[in-house]
Amino acid sequence: MKNKIFAIIMATAILMGMLSFCLVPTKSFSESERRLLQQTPEISLESIMDGSFMDEFEAFAQDQFPLRDSFRGLKSQFALKLLQQGDNNGLYISAGHISKLDGPLNEKMLDHAAGRFESIYAKYLKDTSCRVWFSMIPDKNYFIAPEAGRPYLDFEELESYMLKKADYMQYIPIAQLLETGDYYRSDSHWRQERIEDIAETICKAMGTANLGEHEIVPVLQDFHGVYSGQLANSSISDRIFYATNDTIRACTVTSYDSGSPKAVPFYDMEAATGRDPYEMFLNGADALLVIENHSANTGRELIIFRDSFGSSLAPLLIESYDKITLVDIRYIQSAMLDQFISFDKQDVLFIYSSGLLNNSMALK
Amino acid sequence: MLFSSLTFLYFFLPAVLLCYFVLPMRMKNAVLLIFSLLFYAWGEPKYVFLMVFTIILGWFSGLMIEDSLGRKAAKFWLILSVGIVLFLLGLFKYADFFIANFSAATGLSLPLLRLALPVGISFYSFQMISYLADVYRGSVPAQRSIIKLGCYISMFPQLIAGPIVRYADINDRLENRSLSMSSAAEGAFRFIIGLGKKVIIANSMGALCSAFSAASEESILFYWLYAIGFTLQIYYDFSGYSDMAIGLGKILGFEFMENFNYPYISRSITEFWHRWHMSLGSWFRDYLYIPLGGNRVSKPRWFFNIFVVWFCTGFWHGANWNFMVWGLYFALLLVLEKLWLLKRLERSEILGRIYTMLLVVIGFVIFNAADMPEAFRQIGGMFGLGNAPLFNAESLYQLRNYGLLLIIAIVGCCPIVKLCARAIGRLGISALLQPLCALGLLLVCTAYLVDGSFNPFLYFRF
Repeated sequence: MKNKIFAIIMATAILMGMLSFCLVPTKSFSESERRLLQQTPEISLESIMDGSFMDEFEAFAQDQFPLRDSFRGLKSQFALKLLQQGDNNGLYISAGHISKLDGPLNEKMLDHAAGRFESIYAKYLKDTSCRVWFSMIPDKNYFIAPEAGRPYLDFEELESYMLKKADYMQYIPIAQLLETGDYYRSDSHWRQERIEDIAETICKAMGTANLGEHEIVPVLQDFHGVYSGQLANSSISDRIFYATNDTIRACTVTSYDSGSPKAVPFYDMEAATGRDPYEMFLNGADALLVIENHSANTGRELIIFRDSFGSSLAPLLIESYDKITLVDIRYIQSAMLDQFISFDKQDVLFIYSSGLLNNSMALK
Repeated sequence: MLFSSLTFLYFFLPAVLLCYFVLPMRMKNAVLLIFSLLFYAWGEPKYVFLMVFTIILGWFSGLMIEDSLGRKAAKFWLILSVGIVLFLLGLFKYADFFIANFSAATGLSLPLLRLALPVGISFYSFQMISYLADVYRGSVPAQRSIIKLGCYISMFPQLIAGPIVRYADINDRLENRSLSMSSAAEGAFRFIIGLGKKVIIANSMGALCSAFSAASEESILFYWLYAIGFTLQIYYDFSGYSDMAIGLGKILGFEFMENFNYPYISRSITEFWHRWHMSLGSWFRDYLYIPLGGNRVSKPRWFFNIFVVWFCTGFWHGANWNFMVWGLYFALLLVLEKLWLLKRLERSEILGRIYTMLLVVIGFVIFNAADMPEAFRQIGGMFGLGNAPLFNAESLYQLRNYGLLLIIAIVGCCPIVKLCARAIGRLGISALLQPLCALGLLLVCTAYLVDGSFNPFLYFRF
């Protein structure tokens, strides 16, 4: 009898798994992981013979498994709480923050990033009156890991390596102004309302000290950052605040992401309650974006080569400039920039996070 | 297809069990053969034809050998069929190794064949050879049904990573087997335990080894963590797979031989090899060591036989020098034990175990190295040869990260877990506890698989 019950329980468990898999409709997007999910693979003789159907089916089964997020949460809790592992897929919780292990220093990637910057400098900036600055943002793991006893990417080492490669630019150090609290607890990014000192330092270095006064406005919905989704842990969340004032409200923002100009909101309130609320800042991931400040008449323009950290920094710099152009060379070939930008006598700032520099293959 | 995949657990397994148990007994072998070929084709669609060819070859040759028993023709058919099986194994597994080494020795630059290794070819080739040899010896009758022989060769539970099942051991079950709830329940529990060993422990130890490979700085502690981690990974990976295979066999009405018997509690290398990959050890004993004369020969010849068997054992694991060195390393240790050490080691409970584990760990470092210089560098690193510090921040973190898992894995290598389970069973609560544990383990393993963590099978490459 005991054996009969056991065999029936186990058979029921796997049959339930199979049935629920077949009955639950497929999803196209994972909100928590912010990525597209594998869809039902197409079957053909060719895809079977070359094995691609099987590979895609394995990925499909993994992506579309019923209660996927609950299972991911169970795995995370099992590894972190029961097995006392230090991290789950590189993510860990310490001091109320979710952080991600980074490092070791990847010289090949740093060389690639430095090579991209140098080629942009040589092609567009060297023979102009542009003034060029460079700054680097440490990952939040750099602040959390030493206290938490986790390994981390040595920012000083990365900084010194990059400075040797980019000695043609003026460096603006900002790491000493940052601390754990300047970053979201559930996300990798810095908090806009906490980086006014960073913006001020950058402005001073570039000879424009006018930040202006900002109202700090909260987004009403909780922000579950990218780390929260990756760790399948919704207990840690944040509140996004954004800085605004009359100047910002009067600005127009034009995206050239699709090749032709398109007006986009400065702060996108729809995105603030969408899949990735951090995308509310300046249209999120965007290849080329122009902010025009209609209240200013400084005669100065700024071009920022940046990653996503630049989206929340740029609004704080707009007071001093008539125009800021944001370029993300992950999404646009740097060789094509002269089709959109005429480099002349602008201020130019290269500002990148250490995480992107140490994994820079996406820079084009 | 991996046992430790969602596709197997929640698609293939329910489908095969439904068909297998619903259809009448006379159709069960055919169901098993069809699903086994499907299982193999899932990972190796092209090489399923090679598998079918091997089955047809074995079936025809077995019949020819039996028909000509007592005559020279029997030997001819045996040599021909075993020769073809070994040729195919050599072609797919060893050809590039020989070409590369021949090129290196002669200075020629012969092109490599670059054939992908058919999964499980080492296992099913050995099963076919044992079948043909047993028919030739007259110890088993040739199988007249190609479906039954195909079922034996391609049976999915043990197809790609063993245990190496002898035809003589399952011949009766191919003809007639009874299915019971009792053996199905026992098999299901064994399968879940194997799945847990593989998914939770072996994969985690694999991640530790990957962290070692990716580390930017060396330390003596990290070398040891890697060496111990890999020793545990290969045990839990392979014994977990064997548990799953044996469990599935029981569900389907077969009894496969045990493959592991707590090898890491051995007091000598001799004992270790009686407890580790037992189906391979007994295969080499019966089909190579004894035909060479075993130990009933002069001492030099006996030692020669040992070296031949262990050279082949090493080479069976892979076409690389480090596998040969690994095999010969154990041959040397076994000879030394037979000459001097064995009696001394068996007298000491603790010393023998320390000696065995130390040498086994070193052996697995050789086994897992990309080449011999890397093996020497890693072994040297373990003993402080080189400039590596005793520890660094990363190795301390990994010790902390995997500390509890390492303890669990080490304890799990000892019979204490089984003894505890028996003691709990005597309390009369196992009827409740067993399904709860199994269901919990299945859920956790599913969670690990959904999360898509590290999931290789080490013995797939053999």
